[in-house]
Amino acid sequence: MSQALVAGVVVGGIYGLMALGIVLVYKGARVLHFGQGEIGTLALFVAWWVVDERQGLGQPWLLGAAAAVVAAAAVSLVFERLVVARMVEASRLAIGVATVGLLLFLFSLELKLWGASPKYLAPPIEGLGPRVAGLHVSPTQVLALVSAAAIGLGLTAFLRRTDFGLGVLGAAQDPAAARLVGVPLARVSVFTWVVAGVLAAVAALLVEPTIGVFTAGFMTRFFVFALAAALIGGLTSLPGAFAGGIVVGILDQTVQYWSLGVPVPGLSVLAVFALILLVLLVRPQGLLGRAAA
Amino acid sequence: MRPARRQVVVGAVVIAATVLPPLVSRVAPGFLDELLALRLAQAAAFAAMALSLNLLMGYAGQISLGHGALLAVGAYTSGILTGRFGLPFVAGLAAAAVLGGAVAFVVGLPALRLRGLYLAITTLGLLLVMQESILQIPWLSRGSAGVALPRPVAGDFVFTRNADFLALVLVVVIVLWLVDANVTRTRLGRAFRGLREDEQVAASRGVDVARHKLLAFLLSGAMAGVAGCLHGHLLRFVDSRTYDLNLSLLLVAVVVIGGLGSRLGVVLAGVGFGLLPEILRAITPAAEGWDHLLGAALLIVAMARHPEGVAGAITEARHAKAARQARAGVAESAPTEIPRLPELPRPAGAADRPAVAPGEALLEVRDLTVRFGGLTAVDHASISVPAGRIVGLIGPNGAGKTTLFNAVGGFVRTASGTVHLGGQRIDHLPPHERAARGLGRTFQRVGLARDLSVRENLLLSQHAICRYSAVAALGFLPGAARTEAEAGERADLAIAAIGFERFADMPAKHLSGGMQRIVEMACALVTAPELLLLDEPSAGMAPGAVENLAIRLRDLRDALGRTLLLVEHNVPLVLDVCDEIWVLHAGRVIAHGTPDEISRDPTVVEAYLGRNVPAEPVS
Repeated sequence: MSQALVAGVVVGGIYGLMALGIVLVYKGARVLHFGQGEIGTLALFVAWWVVDERQGLGQPWLLGAAAAVVAAAAVSLVFERLVVARMVEASRLAIGVATVGLLLFLFSLELKLWGASPKYLAPPIEGLGPRVAGLHVSPTQVLALVSAAAIGLGLTAFLRRTDFGLGVLGAAQDPAAARLVGVPLARVSVFTWVVAGVLAAVAALLVEPTIGVFTAGFMTRFFVFALAAALIGGLTSLPGAFAGGIVVGILDQTVQYWSLGVPVPGLSVLAVFALILLVLLVRPQGLLGRAAA
Repeated sequence: MRPARRQVVVGAVVIAATVLPPLVSRVAPGFLDELLALRLAQAAAFAAMALSLNLLMGYAGQISLGHGALLAVGAYTSGILTGRFGLPFVAGLAAAAVLGGAVAFVVGLPALRLRGLYLAITTLGLLLVMQESILQIPWLSRGSAGVALPRPVAGDFVFTRNADFLALVLVVVIVLWLVDANVTRTRLGRAFRGLREDEQVAASRGVDVARHKLLAFLLSGAMAGVAGCLHGHLLRFVDSRTYDLNLSLLLVAVVVIGGLGSRLGVVLAGVGFGLLPEILRAITPAAEGWDHLLGAALLIVAMARHPEGVAGAITEARHAKAARQARAGVAESAPTEIPRLPELPRPAGAADRPAVAPGEALLEVRDLTVRFGGLTAVDHASISVPAGRIVGLIGPNGAGKTTLFNAVGGFVRTASGTVHLGGQRIDHLPPHERAARGLGRTFQRVGLARDLSVRENLLLSQHAICRYSAVAALGFLPGAARTEAEAGERADLAIAAIGFERFADMPAKHLSGGMQRIVEMACALVTAPELLLLDEPSAGMAPGAVENLAIRLRDLRDALGRTLLLVEHNVPLVLDVCDEIWVLHAGRVIAHGTPDEISRDPTVVEAYLGRNVPAEPVS
């Protein structure tokens, strides 16, 4: 049980990272970015291609991770410039459907380039790791937890402490006023979309070792979990989204733990889906977000 | 098309679909071999899936990213019933439709509270749950192996050959097409499209928004169940990966590319994308998978350039051109002359409306309070409107006039107070039932379904008096056909009254602002409402037109004894046209009287009119 809690906090931190991306884009553009998860999967394929010794280049993991992040940033940048930036006048719904198009595009591209067979990306650090207070904590889990916390805190600090970060938050609240005080809205938009893509890539790199293998569509599954996390924060609260990630992670792992041997598979997915419905129907403004007008 | 001719065409198409594939495959197998028949049947099934999603997304404007879940419900249901329990194909098909509809209905429940992209979340979540949990239940799929679906049997005949099954698929697709066509030509389709454009406007025209949202999900789900069933029996075996996210999203792309809401476009796009993999493979094996990339790219481009879809963009351009040409024929695009407004008698479907003698109170608002959070927008306000009079409601900005309108119409929650219409209490009723009791209204921003034509808007406005069931609509049964004909006549009368014949089939959004206001008035009047609420009818009108408006409003009162309540900023117009006036200030009623009394009342002058107001009303 405690083992499930540890695993829950670890994957929860990863969901939280993706949820931060969802919230950033939602605050900035009032849009749900459905392509975000698949940007992570694409990054994972890039990392696999760089790292894998037999079918890829056989380079070190860190180089693969760097390439993954660069790829995610590049895809996000291109999508923002070519599509989002040209849809300033469009309805938010239309932009949302365009991100669905991005999701389908990346999904199909992965299938086309790398096929449907599962891929295995070696974890950054091998081994079982130390026992802490009687619990197994693998090096990968430690790495995931530390990176998620560091990135989450770092991003929040950047947004709250720097002029550009405050500009991002200000633009989210009132674009017209932000423009008047000189916030570069175009750059802010690029920033939010690119950061969302990079967060998805980092989350993908961190979550893959906990599963072991991945295929096309891998991260869109976790995108749904991250959506649940972001919804708990009302889609507008950054700390709420991260905390929501931990909640979803613990729910996911404990239900998996308790439902071993139950004849209905995938109960944790069912539980997360129920959580989404519950939050949407009972408290659409989230547990921590502010009520929308 | 005339009904008789339509029947001949439909009959000919059905016979061709039934006879041709089996015949050609036997007489000239070179033209239709088994593989080609399989591909054609797949394409037809794909078109059926696209029709189902089009009903939900294109007509009702509800997004589904997880339509594959409903297809899987259809395929699994029929597979288990026919394959394992040996029931006939027809039973499997019917059960697939019923269960598909039921699951979609449940999925649609959140749509009553949520809009837009939130539905994308829940439908995406449903697909994930379906794939990872429900479809993996060992009893359903016997492990993760999936479900086998036997080909249908009719007597001694088994649909083993793909060409024979193709005929069956084609016939079912034709039936779906006909049902879909009946949706769009009846109150059902108009209600779907009305709520897609503006739920408040649709409700004020008598559409039960919640009911029709769920109906859209139900119908779309039933069609998806049928499509999944056909597709499954064609493949003979499906598993949890058959109806995955990729397929669901490709369907979204197909519906957008085909043109949201365009039946023909969506079917053509469905057939095209159904056959595309085969065509690409024939060109070069390396082209495999390009169909999905193409679909995705077109979806993104369509959204970035023309959110109404590629085919939609073409129709759009045609309409815009036609609108320019038609408007060029009219002397001015912003008319100063307001045409006579339609004065239609009470419709037959309005028998249970309250009857009130002229001069007695038709609308009675007592002690009404509306709060938004800490703000009290309307504060214990009481007003009454006598039948057969024109009553004005004035007050400075933020006085609570529109909020009071919305409370009477049923669009805001009231904290206290009662509303009676013709002696019947209506404050507990939802907006569409208030509309059915004879409450009509116009909106400050023009309350029209912008994408619907003028004529369709006038038909939508008669939703409450078109009384036939959803079943009658789907089958276009005689009752529905008769009511539709009557509604069409009323719409044409209204169009003739305002002289808009040449704009009748044009989307409302292509008309000028002033013309849209006239159409909106016609829409509000086409059901001959007992009480008409007008929210700033003169907004955006030229001064000449405002003078004219006063004449038209008096016409309404004098010709058929209509009762009007208007919120208006144009004080001279109100003083000129109204029989009595209520003045709101900070949510409270501060004065009531004839225009003469109001313009002399010192509290009103101080609170609202300003000090230098002429004592005589300006006309």
